[in-house]
Amino acid sequence: MSEIVIEEASDRGMIDLKGDPAAPGFRNGVASVLGLDLPLEPRSSAASGETTVLWLSVDQWLITVPYDQAGQLTARLAAALAEHHALVVDLSDARTIFRLRGLGAREVVMKGASADLTHTDYRAGTVRRLSFAELAAMVHVVSDTPEILDLYVFRSVGHYVREFLETAARPEARVVLWGRSE
Amino acid sequence: MTSPAPYRLPEAPGIGRLIDRGQPLAFTFDGRRLEGFVGDTLASALLANGERLVGRSFKYHRPRGIVGLGSEEMNALVGIGRGPAHEPNLQATGIELHDGLAAVSQNRWPSLAFDIGQVNDLFSRFIPGGFYYKTFKWPKSFWHHLYEPLIRRAAGLGRAPTGRDPAAYEQIRVDCDVLVVGGGASGLAAAEAAAMAGARVMLAEAEPRLGGVGDLYDGSEDLPALANVMVLTRTTAMAHFHHNYLLLAERLTGDKPRQRLWKLRAKEVILATGAIERPIAFANNDRPGVMLAEAVRGYLARHAVAPGRRGVVFTNNDEAYRTALLIKRAGAGDVTIIDGRADPHGELVDEARRAGIPVMLGHAVSQVETTLGGQAIEAVRVAAYRPGISRPLREQKLPCDYLAVSGGFNPAVHLWCHNGGKLRYDTRIHAFRPDRHHDRLWAVGAANGTFDLQQAIAEGAIAGEQAAARALGRPATASIVMPKAKPRRQGAIEPLWLSPASGHYHDGHKHFVDFQNDVTVADLELAQREGYSSVEHTKRYTTWGMASDQGKTSSIVGLGVLSEATGRPIPEIGTTTFRPPFTPLTFGTIAGALKGPLFLAVRRTPAHDWQVAQGAMWEPVGQWRRAYCYPQPGETKEQAIAREILAVRRAVGLLDASTLGKIEIKGRDAAAFLDRVYTNSFSTLKVGRCRYGLMLNELGFIIDDGVTARLADDHFLMHTTSGGADRVAAWLEEWLQTEWPELQVLVTPVTEQWAQFAVAGPEARAVLEALALTGDSDIDLKPDSFPFMAWRAGRIGGFRVRIFRISFSGELSFEIAVPARDGMKLWQALLDAGKPHGITAYGTEALHVLRAEKGYIVVGDETDGTVTPRDVGLDGLVSKVKRDFIGKRSLDQAFLKAAGRKELVGLMTEDKNEVLPDGAQAVSDAAARPLTPIGHVTSSYLSPTLERSIAMALIENGRSRMGETLSFPLAGGKIVKATIVSPVFYDPQGERQNV
Repeated sequence: MSEIVIEEASDRGMIDLKGDPAAPGFRNGVASVLGLDLPLEPRSSAASGETTVLWLSVDQWLITVPYDQAGQLTARLAAALAEHHALVVDLSDARTIFRLRGLGAREVVMKGASADLTHTDYRAGTVRRLSFAELAAMVHVVSDTPEILDLYVFRSVGHYVREFLETAARPEARVVLWGRSE
Repeated sequence: MTSPAPYRLPEAPGIGRLIDRGQPLAFTFDGRRLEGFVGDTLASALLANGERLVGRSFKYHRPRGIVGLGSEEMNALVGIGRGPAHEPNLQATGIELHDGLAAVSQNRWPSLAFDIGQVNDLFSRFIPGGFYYKTFKWPKSFWHHLYEPLIRRAAGLGRAPTGRDPAAYEQIRVDCDVLVVGGGASGLAAAEAAAMAGARVMLAEAEPRLGGVGDLYDGSEDLPALANVMVLTRTTAMAHFHHNYLLLAERLTGDKPRQRLWKLRAKEVILATGAIERPIAFANNDRPGVMLAEAVRGYLARHAVAPGRRGVVFTNNDEAYRTALLIKRAGAGDVTIIDGRADPHGELVDEARRAGIPVMLGHAVSQVETTLGGQAIEAVRVAAYRPGISRPLREQKLPCDYLAVSGGFNPAVHLWCHNGGKLRYDTRIHAFRPDRHHDRLWAVGAANGTFDLQQAIAEGAIAGEQAAARALGRPATASIVMPKAKPRRQGAIEPLWLSPASGHYHDGHKHFVDFQNDVTVADLELAQREGYSSVEHTKRYTTWGMASDQGKTSSIVGLGVLSEATGRPIPEIGTTTFRPPFTPLTFGTIAGALKGPLFLAVRRTPAHDWQVAQGAMWEPVGQWRRAYCYPQPGETKEQAIAREILAVRRAVGLLDASTLGKIEIKGRDAAAFLDRVYTNSFSTLKVGRCRYGLMLNELGFIIDDGVTARLADDHFLMHTTSGGADRVAAWLEEWLQTEWPELQVLVTPVTEQWAQFAVAGPEARAVLEALALTGDSDIDLKPDSFPFMAWRAGRIGGFRVRIFRISFSGELSFEIAVPARDGMKLWQALLDAGKPHGITAYGTEALHVLRAEKGYIVVGDETDGTVTPRDVGLDGLVSKVKRDFIGKRSLDQAFLKAAGRKELVGLMTEDKNEVLPDGAQAVSDAAARPLTPIGHVTSSYLSPTLERSIAMALIENGRSRMGETLSFPLAGGKIVKATIVSPVFYDPQGERQNV
């Protein structure tokens, strides 16, 4: 079995968007800038090219784009939504993203998480805010095969989460549930 | 080399099934080197070596041996491992033998065989049940200094490890459709059936192998490999909580990790936890060599361990006859069966007779005779028995060196009961079995009181199928039916709780009920005579059923004794509470990975690494670590703080203020919203400007403060205290979502996005001008275009920044915010640009002294949740014109406006070098008795600026006492005197920050 690879995805920029998706023109305004529709289903996401939108709540999304584009895109979104009740903030530096690759990545996250990610609810594309190692965190299932998970935590605790993940992912502590295989 | 184990039988069919004689293992017990085999438990290896004495009892220090085969073991608690890796209170029956295992006995001094504490047994008539409630009452001080330390030394279990546990532990959170607890015959059938029905099944088995005790009865069961069954061996279900949430402790074979705690939510839980054999209370029934009948059989069949040379089986049921039959078949010496029943009719009874085993019906063991201070059995005394007999008249002696006892079987209902499952008493088995449960819990097989193997398997399979169907939301298919075949003919069990001795109960004739807690029949009867008629009271008074054992073997026996003593039937007496964990659980498993460097997630600012490199001293602020001060080589903490403060006052300082809470607030109603959450007005604030705000709760008390900047007409940036950032964000959301949904306001916390540094001191502008020269800059820093309490966004030295001209030190000051990943670079650039100006990094202590010199409050120092703006002299910040704000109504309450409230003042000690301790109480007259405190010190420092000590205090009517001298009586009788002054010690006109 291959090892689980843990990397920091420092090339991702993050834009926090708040607004009312039911307001006329709001979703169109977003789509005109991002080129994709906001996901409205709870715990879902949408992706197109280098842009991914993660559902955070009924009125909040996290848009991830290449880091260099975040500032400009924040300004364009804010301009497109100028007439709307909306708040767009460039939070590219507020979080650290850990990308876990390899079969058993789900189980590594489950060693600190409050949810069972091997459940069928957590297919590729699913976003879940949860408690990880007693910290506020968010998991995005990027791909089922190969297994890729992104774990979002606040920057100030990134060093701690890295240590937790590396401890949990040691080969001698490997857990793979219910004979899952790739 | 060691000599061959004296009680290990030679190879024979059906004997020693689990051991591998080709793989010997060496281990030590109390330092003595012994030998066992792969497949042994510590218990079986000790017994094979004739090590009968394994511990001393809790209270009387009586010698004790191994009684059971598995989790029911109550005596043989040992410690394993050395030093920091030591773990006490483990059941010898649950420890797999491995090469080099080092086990030690517990609760003995100086040695196991010769133990001083034995004298407790001789004085036992003076320490009956509940003795500590009666004896150690007087005088009061003796409890703390004499009685408690003595009792603690004499009573107890193992010793704590001597250092940090070097092993690693972890936890994991998992869901499943069906959890089966127990991998015996019925559990395996349940798991297989549930898996065949398509459920996601987890099977937890405490032992290293599946099969349970099927091998000691009529056969065994296997589990086919199915992808949707996850089997966890060496895994004990420790606890059951609400909504089928369980904790399972898995013991791994390595030590990184050593154990894993499974935090599991199951839609359905099937308990196949089996049954626990119970002892019978007779005189000296706790002597080493008195074992449970199933355990004797188990050690023979699995480990080829002979229980002794000549034995007695004492029973009230048919199952124990299997033990006698196996002893006979294995050629492990003579054995006699003593059966309390007068006329049993079972196939096993007939078989024993045919095998030529002497059977004495209608008899009971009334006494155990020993030598070597109770360590070796010589004989038992046997007397005619009938239910209700009060004292035997004639006894006969049967020479023997061990005794196998069976008083029947209790379904292991612990998990059923952890979270409120009900039990009912079943006279067919004379035990409690599961009745109702509010959760989706099933009990099958012996755990349900179904002892027949075929019946138990069928029951497991049916429950597995039905549980899976319910978990998956399908109708049950009912493809499995109970077997029609008539079960084997068995004689009925007859209750036999107490076999009386010919002498008195005490004085060496103890009839033990709870071995682990040294509770006897006499203790339980005494409790009844003293009026403890409730079973829960009896439990607490006598300690029966407590501690790690939780009454596994003693519960029903004790109830039987109480029933006979009170004439009440057992179901009427009821049971006591079974509490988790099912078996002792090490704290490491509960802590999991969260120890050492992972104990706490300490938050680091973007400039953290530089501060580490500077050897900063740290202060915890919320979950952050902030630099407290930066001592230079050869410098004390106090010298460092003074140097940092004077640098800010005379030149320029640099502070990492990144931890300050930052919240963006936007929307048409944002200004109106801020008007409601702060006492002062923000709708009047101009874009590009900042204002200090004071936040109250509904009670009118200060909960936070900070500077808010207006980014745009409908857009603000709020700063909160470092510790209050999350709380304030939640507070704002709560008001918006629950009270004022009509307001169009959006709130996004942005604390982590920014690194923020304060450049403070007369040279601050010069430093920023120098920085501006190093790269792209478009911010005009001149006083006219960038006045005090303004903010600007733009570039400086190539950095994208927001600069706030605000001050918490009273000096000319700029706070520069930059995206966090550029934080370290900006910090370094500021140090470089400031070097010619003498820029000095300063920590939180200098920050606090600087603000105290200016009389600025810190929420949490000058306020404690009961302080109003008026109390701290900030009434001017409370708007008189706003229609409403949070706390306004409360501020109008008479008692918050009344005279006599504590008010914030400054204090100057008579001796300028005397620094009052924080929290010191003030009195007007230190000679008066009683002393009447009129307030306390809230902040106190040595001010290098003023070259004297300064303090802030909340004093009754403080502002009208200006010039008054108060006394502060300190611990040790010292009295410090200080004069009340204005809390603004430095630059009262505020000229320095306005340049």
